[in-house]
Amino acid sequence: MTDTDDIDALAAEYVLGTLDGAERTQVGARKRREPALAAAILAWEQRLSPLNSLGPAVAPPPALRGEILARVATPQAVASNVVQLQRRVARWRTLAIGASAIAASLAGFVGYRETLRPATSYVAVLQKDAASPAFLMTVDIDKRTFTVAPVAAAQPAGKSFELWLVHEKLPGPKSLGLVNNAAFTAGPQLAAFAPGFIREATYAVSVEPEGGSPTGAPTGPVVYAGKLVQSKP
Amino acid sequence: MLSSANDISALLARVANKDAAAFEALYDFTSAKLYGIILRILRRRDMADEVLQEVYVKIWERAADFDAMRASPITWMATIARNRALDEIRKRTPLSIEDTPEALEVPSAEPHPLAALELSQDLHALQACLDRLEPQRKEIVLQAYLLGATREELSQRFGHPVATIKTWLHRSLAQLKACLTP
Repeated sequence: MTDTDDIDALAAEYVLGTLDGAERTQVGARKRREPALAAAILAWEQRLSPLNSLGPAVAPPPALRGEILARVATPQAVASNVVQLQRRVARWRTLAIGASAIAASLAGFVGYRETLRPATSYVAVLQKDAASPAFLMTVDIDKRTFTVAPVAAAQPAGKSFELWLVHEKLPGPKSLGLVNNAAFTAGPQLAAFAPGFIREATYAVSVEPEGGSPTGAPTGPVVYAGKLVQSKP
Repeated sequence: MLSSANDISALLARVANKDAAAFEALYDFTSAKLYGIILRILRRRDMADEVLQEVYVKIWERAADFDAMRASPITWMATIARNRALDEIRKRTPLSIEDTPEALEVPSAEPHPLAALELSQDLHALQACLDRLEPQRKEIVLQAYLLGATREELSQRFGHPVATIKTWLHRSLAQLKACLTP
């Protein structure tokens, strides 16, 4: 028997499933470093996979569906936001505005998946669309404070930008004060809200008369909005 | 409604971009198939439930690795499910193959829409080649693949020494390969 035959016979039995635990573990490890074995296994998978249609399909318990969707939705979704944010940040850097604050946020993102401790630091990109980030909002849930850094907001002359917290449990948007396109804005206006509430809310920026909305509710168009994602473990 | 392997490939491509809605659709369309595969091998629902979760998390994480040039999307997903179930069952105390597999007690579901997606041509070709094996050897191959039986279990079940089973398996597989190779 040649080596090729050996490898093929091993691959065939690996795919058929008849190897015992120790052999199976060994082949599983070998296929990662032996391309010939990996190729033989792939070929056997193709050859035998039509047999899968001979067995009946069995509906899994309905409760599993929610568990599985939840398992992929939480940490993974954040990870995917990180990738998107990283891409955006790569573009923003050229603007040279707030770059160090962004970098600091990202350092936290990268470490996120290592831990499941409750987070305290969150960030939201307030934007019109993916290509037009305007403000970067960071929130410290513990201290219930926020900072808004301008990225590329074009402020119409004679108008003000006003930041709003929007949550389905509130009768209407709650003003968090004015933000502007030239400087950082920080504030304690989240003090009245619970951490979970702050995390779930949507943050929006509207164009208001100079000095802010005269009515306590947005009167002009909402030009930028975003949701918080975790930025540090 | 999904109707072709292309649609599942398209869903997988969206899942690779972390599209949760696509993942949900993919789960709804494929989970009964994968659960059937896993349950046939593990024969215990508690273990099968856990493995199904791990399999879909893996699909979510690895969707970007799926290569339509190398495998059909269903084959790719079924392979992940079978491998994970086999890894799990081999870690456990061997079950007797005489135990009635739970999966086989479940009344056959309606023909799953996925059955139509399998390249039925491939299945026909494989069945034709299996039919050229001696009936008992064909049965041994099918039980190994579908129920995840080890050589020892097949030896008990069919009343032949393990060494004989091993020799038969090698010959049967070599015959199948020769028969399937154009």
